[in-house]
Amino acid sequence: MNKPLILVIEDDKAVRTLITTTLKAHDYRFVEAISGEAAILAATSYNPDILLLDLGLPDMDGVEIISRVRTWSNMPIIVISARCEDADKICALDAGADDYLTKPFSVDELLARLRVTQRRLAIMNTDTSGSEFVNGNLRIDYAAGCAYLGGEEMHLTPIEYKLLCLLSQNAGKVLTHTFITQKIWGNAWENNIASLRVFMATLRKRLESAPDSPQYIQTHVGVGYRMMKL
Amino acid sequence: MLSATNSRQEHILVCLSSAPSNARIILTAARMAAAFQGHLTALYVETPDSSAMTEEDRNRLSANTRLAKKLGANVETIQGDNVPYQIAEFARLWGATKIVLGRSAAGKQRFFRKTTLVDRLIAIAPNIDIHIIPDSTSNHKYHQRKTKNKLPAFSVREAAKCALILLAASMINMVFYSLGLTDASIIMVYILGVLVTAIVTDHQIYSIISSVLSVILFNFIFTKPRFSLHAFDAGYPITFAVMFLAAYITGSLAIRLKNNAHQSAQAAYRTRILFDTNQLLNRAESHNEIISILAGQLIKLLNRDIVIYPIESGSLCEAMPFPADEHNTESIVLTDKDRTIAEWVAQNNRCAGATTDMFSDSSSLYLAICINRRVYGVVGITMNGGKLDSFESSVLLSMLSEGALALENEKNAREKEAASLLAKNEQLRANLLRAISHDLRTPLTSISGNASILLSEGSSFDESTRHQLYTNIHNESIWLINLVENLLYVTRIEDGRMNLNPSVELIDEIIDEALGHINRRGRECTIVVKKEKDYTLVRADARLIVQVLINLIDNALKYTPQNSDIHISVRERNKLVHVSVQDNGPGIPDSEKEKIFEMFYTGVSHTADSNKSLGLGLSLCRSIINAHGGTITVVDNKPTGSIFEFTLPSEEVSIHE
Repeated sequence: MNKPLILVIEDDKAVRTLITTTLKAHDYRFVEAISGEAAILAATSYNPDILLLDLGLPDMDGVEIISRVRTWSNMPIIVISARCEDADKICALDAGADDYLTKPFSVDELLARLRVTQRRLAIMNTDTSGSEFVNGNLRIDYAAGCAYLGGEEMHLTPIEYKLLCLLSQNAGKVLTHTFITQKIWGNAWENNIASLRVFMATLRKRLESAPDSPQYIQTHVGVGYRMMKL
Repeated sequence: MLSATNSRQEHILVCLSSAPSNARIILTAARMAAAFQGHLTALYVETPDSSAMTEEDRNRLSANTRLAKKLGANVETIQGDNVPYQIAEFARLWGATKIVLGRSAAGKQRFFRKTTLVDRLIAIAPNIDIHIIPDSTSNHKYHQRKTKNKLPAFSVREAAKCALILLAASMINMVFYSLGLTDASIIMVYILGVLVTAIVTDHQIYSIISSVLSVILFNFIFTKPRFSLHAFDAGYPITFAVMFLAAYITGSLAIRLKNNAHQSAQAAYRTRILFDTNQLLNRAESHNEIISILAGQLIKLLNRDIVIYPIESGSLCEAMPFPADEHNTESIVLTDKDRTIAEWVAQNNRCAGATTDMFSDSSSLYLAICINRRVYGVVGITMNGGKLDSFESSVLLSMLSEGALALENEKNAREKEAASLLAKNEQLRANLLRAISHDLRTPLTSISGNASILLSEGSSFDESTRHQLYTNIHNESIWLINLVENLLYVTRIEDGRMNLNPSVELIDEIIDEALGHINRRGRECTIVVKKEKDYTLVRADARLIVQVLINLIDNALKYTPQNSDIHISVRERNKLVHVSVQDNGPGIPDSEKEKIFEMFYTGVSHTADSNKSLGLGLSLCRSIINAHGGTITVVDNKPTGSIFEFTLPSEEVSIHE
């Protein structure tokens, strides 16, 4: 597979250099933009595969850039924000971002996120409307309404199954608590957010009960959950 | 006025009047004030008679007022019938130490000497110095209002009482006469009748009439010749005169007794209501509470609708209506005009509205709630039920002063609290800055030093040396990152309290997240997580609790030797989730157990990292846990080590399938 083209939107020179140096060292192709306007322009003209977007741009709100890009493209967007700003991250994710990186981040973290997103790209490029989802040992037959782990059928409650489907259809993308409860219960009431914690814990337990089983579901404390594409 | 006020500044009160000699008195008072280096207050007591003043008097009064102002006096106007009482009350409330009066006001010696203003003033305010300025040219007399002696409207009821008592006395006397008792007994019965009349009727005129009638009846019925107004005995005119005098004096004494009883009852009532007000106001905790207590007490006293305009930071606030009848909230209608009057009152610190010269067409009387010339609000009293009597208005003024005092105290307390909070926050910030600027130098020196060596002479080092320098830079920057994390959370502490965004969280997720952020720094150790049940839910701000756990686990790693065991356990008791982090390191001495939670406390023990601790971590932990309504404690682990345990409120969840 070709290395994807990455649009790096970051106004701070030192951080931008850090990112581009890392990308160069790992043979990624990239384009730089230092402002919101330039970013929109570059996104339309280069049609990159992945957007790396700093939320604190001087000229434009990061969330606005996401919504504008989302009007015409589904390209994965990874937002970069300072920690302690959970609210901003959740806003960005709800606006359509796929993942986030928290400053200060390590080079390894950046590369890991890019790999996850590349896998997500792979899913998006293959037929996603199919009736089957396969991820490692996990197989979901949407048409039959069944999930299998290592060939054995999983015994899931209706809510657990709905959760599994929602996560699998958005594999690689961080889903916020609000988004999930909206999709499952139709609202984001406090009590449902509490229920979500429990269902997610039981679902994880079923998926990852085997000692050598890989981690399918990632928890993002204070933000949401994500199914990892293995 | 002796020792208590000697230390205080003198406060001289001069009474304004429309008398021509008043100017001289004001000048004398001003000289006294200058001599004593005290302040001067000029007081004008506006009586209901004042409105009937002549044009000339009015001009003189305003000239005198201007003079007082020019001489640096605070000019105050109060209202009331009872001038000495008003002066005494004003002097008491404003802490006046000397009162200056003109001789005219003092009254001249006459044969049937009436009690003068000064006498009464001395009686009411015995501990204030009163200075009388002699003034021979005075043609202006102090008039006590004569309402008490004015003829009352003729009352059939009172007249009937008189007639009945006289009739009863006459009947008894008929019986006595037929029994052959002497004139002396008959006269005694009539005098008794007059005494009873004086007690049961409400005006002296009835006892005077009774006295006269008793004499006439005695003459008519019982003296020879009977049933005529003639008297044969030459001694009778003397008898009649003595009898009349005896009856009159007895009646007068009875009435004075009755009035005294009435006055002392009023005084007792006044003391009680002021005491109550004072007690209630002392107990009030907020500005609004003071206002409503004041309004409630005013309603209790006056039984009229009350409106209060509080003054906050110099401007008049929205009116607060307090209807006398709680169920009839419609009774108070406020217009812009009412507000205008209230604003005028607040600015000029004078009363206005009904029964005064200013805005007298208004239906309400407006008074300032003020103390020491600082106005804390304006109170409006509906005057539909007629004007206030002197007793009511004097208690009203005292009550307003009490209210103003309470408002002033409350304001001072509030300002003091704000100032101390500000000082505390400033102190915290200053400590923080000092600690940071001091302790950041070490890692920054290391980073910049290592980087500059690598830049200038990097090529001359061998691979392993260079690697060591890179590692140092990396480690120091990681330490800085952790520090900045904690600092960011410290900035969320505002006014000593932390802002939380709590939600329902699984404690397991929080612990996993914290373990993912632990900086092991190459240390070997085993971290074991023990849980009582699978899903323990807590109500917490997840980010902050993650930080608490990171700090606790980091500490456990930092202060224990290599290859130690760290246990994290979770249990639920009484709606509280207890999370503990225990290590088997050297432990913490008892003397330090409390101190370690204090900000900027860095302990005395020497560890590998002892030079790098801001003493922020544990104090931040305590702030976070306290903000969640929990507690954090440290106890000794057996056989060695420490156990840090914190609690969080647990959460039940009803599962929605």
